[in-house]
Amino acid sequence: MIAFIIRRLLASIPTLLAVLTLVFLLVRVVPGDPAIAILGDRATPETLAALRAELGLDRWIGAQYFDFLGHAILGDLGTSMVTHRPVWTEIAEALPHTIVLTLAAMAIGCLIGIPAGVWAALNRNGPVDVLTRLLSLLGLSFPVFVSGIFLLIVFALQLHLFPVIGNPRPGDWIDGLHKLVLPAVTLGVVMAAYVVRVTRSSMLQVLGEDYIRTARAKGVPRRAIIWRHGLSNALIPVVTVVGLYVGILIGNSVLTEIVFNRPGLGKVIVSALTKRDYTMLQGMMVIYCFLIVVVNLITDISYGFIDPRVKQ
Amino acid sequence: MTLRITLSAALAAATFLAVPATAAPKTDLTVGMAAQDVGQLDPHRAVSTIDRTVVAWMYNGLVRFKPGTMDPTQIEPDLAEKWESSADKLDWTFHLRHGVKFHGDFGELTADDVAFSLKRASDAKTSAFSADFAAFKSIEATDPYTVHIILARQVPSLLGLLTNYSGGYIVSRKAVEKYGADFTRNPVGTGPFAFVSDTPNQSLELTAFNGYFRGEPQLAHVSYRYIPSDSSRDLAFQNGEIDLVYGKQDQAWINRIRALPNTVVDVFEPGELANLNLNITAKPLDDIRVRQAIAYAVNRPELVKWQGADTARPGQSVIPAGYLGFSKDVGLANTDIAKAKALLKEAGYPDGVTIKVIHTQLPQMLGSMQVVQAQLRKAGINLDLQVVDHATFHQQIRKDLSPIVYYAAARFPVADIYLTQFFHSASIVGKPTAVTNFSHCDVADKDIDAAKTEPDAEKQVALWVEAQKKIVATACAVPLAEALQIWAHRTDLDYGYELKASLSLGPLLTEATHFK
Repeated sequence: MIAFIIRRLLASIPTLLAVLTLVFLLVRVVPGDPAIAILGDRATPETLAALRAELGLDRWIGAQYFDFLGHAILGDLGTSMVTHRPVWTEIAEALPHTIVLTLAAMAIGCLIGIPAGVWAALNRNGPVDVLTRLLSLLGLSFPVFVSGIFLLIVFALQLHLFPVIGNPRPGDWIDGLHKLVLPAVTLGVVMAAYVVRVTRSSMLQVLGEDYIRTARAKGVPRRAIIWRHGLSNALIPVVTVVGLYVGILIGNSVLTEIVFNRPGLGKVIVSALTKRDYTMLQGMMVIYCFLIVVVNLITDISYGFIDPRVKQ
Repeated sequence: MTLRITLSAALAAATFLAVPATAAPKTDLTVGMAAQDVGQLDPHRAVSTIDRTVVAWMYNGLVRFKPGTMDPTQIEPDLAEKWESSADKLDWTFHLRHGVKFHGDFGELTADDVAFSLKRASDAKTSAFSADFAAFKSIEATDPYTVHIILARQVPSLLGLLTNYSGGYIVSRKAVEKYGADFTRNPVGTGPFAFVSDTPNQSLELTAFNGYFRGEPQLAHVSYRYIPSDSSRDLAFQNGEIDLVYGKQDQAWINRIRALPNTVVDVFEPGELANLNLNITAKPLDDIRVRQAIAYAVNRPELVKWQGADTARPGQSVIPAGYLGFSKDVGLANTDIAKAKALLKEAGYPDGVTIKVIHTQLPQMLGSMQVVQAQLRKAGINLDLQVVDHATFHQQIRKDLSPIVYYAAARFPVADIYLTQFFHSASIVGKPTAVTNFSHCDVADKDIDAAKTEPDAEKQVALWVEAQKKIVATACAVPLAEALQIWAHRTDLDYGYELKASLSLGPLLTEATHFK
């Protein structure tokens, strides 16, 4: 298992290097001038040139690239062009909020999606199955900025159970949990809609396999057939979808953080993009890519746990 | 008898208990701003509405507009208690108030801080407003409370440059030297509210500055929250989580928020005038008949109807209404589609013309431009809109990549600044002295230059009016509509003055601002 993990880790290195290069290029390919974004429409060309020099943007692009690469490899992502704060500091403040939201949404998605998918598969074409598929379709059809606003109108404005402004008080974990509920439900429901469909179809496929028929013929109890023989084999595609979906979750967290006014990477990256804050954008994209690589790694490793043949 | 006394006592006690204790008014103000984050808190680099609104609460100028106004004739003392100038208006002396303190432990304001600030505001390396100070020859602190300014040439409104607006803000020299580049996140001024903390992408916290020279502010704390989602910001206001909210220049928004209980919608000056700037050097706009066709095809009343009667008014000249030197008798064309078509035909485009235009995706600006697009289409002028994000738009229009530039702006309310920045040849984009002349207009240079040094006020205004007429006659720009500033606040919030205008584009918070 350790050798498998090391192999996966080594395979991630070229991915991260490619990511660093792509991130650097992408940020600069996007049109827009950070100096104009910072100094506005009344700045003279002389003022803009002075700021570009101050930010190091007047240097040869190759020098900027190697400078960025060298520092990034050493773990230094630089300082924000706008706020002058170290990129790592802003990431360290925002990342925990995004991770907590992603994990909470993932938990909601799996806790609702997997049992509902199994239940639907066991009641194929029955009322439960139809209802599950219908709800899943609804969940997939609503973008988070619509469902989020809907939840705010109902639970904040009408029922007064939650605030609209969702940034938690520092150090107050009860307040943090309270303000996590609506955003996590918003994201988790969409994820559950995906997971329920994949679980259902995977379970249906597995339940039709010969070994399940054999187990039934041997008189294995229904509960054991479903959970031990059925679900454990149906989980691989589900884990794949969950792994892939974490990437989507992180992406969707951008919108969720904006709708619910939560701190997080999403808000930071949108702010950096608006102001063409190159260093911040680079840092954020590196972190996003790193998170995706880590999630894929965890997904690969969990295959090994679920199906020992993968370790070969 | 005893029973009666007992009952009376009980009733009295019950009555006493039933009367709610008068709650002390709130002293914490929460403001909801349409922003991802604040940008620059260094006032000499604060250019966006987001930054300017909050900077105005922390800093002062030598002089100021009377709170709630932007009338240059109502400029009053701020950090300077009096001033005098030479007969030729080239030599100015300002006498500072004594005992004005900077926030924190940065000590008393002196003339050295003022000279430092104004030099900093006029330096291209440290200021986004350096062009405004081009006529400043020298700025000296002659003693701790006296500042002497010598101008190389007359400036139409020197006091205007020294107000609590743009480059006129006074910073602490010690603080700038202590924090260096980080001053933008450690602002130190003399205003009623002092910086406490900034949580990126969340909020900015200010506290009352008890040493404020006009007296201790009645608000104790101000939380300036960045809420980029329009819907969430409105819901938070509706839910009572914010007291003062940035609004939308949209009649539907105004109507909806006005209908909420305990709410006042603020509609105030300055109006941001949107002009269609037509590049007179680019084909097909190098033919004046094509430009005139555009001027005849635009329907301003229709555009105002679309934007909303409360927030918009028709553009009446190429500079905003009410500015010193403004005139509405500048010969603007009224809508005449037949004439527009005839002009196009005469210019060699009988089947119409298509012009590629780069435009921003900001919803309000995009919506207005789409209305203009539909209006021009009736005359056979097809605008092929290339919609890009706002930062890209700003970059590309400065590279002269769009022959038509829709641009909305408000400036200091004296004609000179608007005319110079948008219509003087020195400001043409691409030049080393460029500002925002997207039309390459140069027909009014002489009048604009002459007005700058004209000592007679009437003649000066006549020169500005003449400049506007020439610009309109040449069709360098077609005025569209002016959009006023829109905010909303709870009825229990009292600004402490009547809000008719604010050049920082947000309500000014003063020592008198309080909850009732």
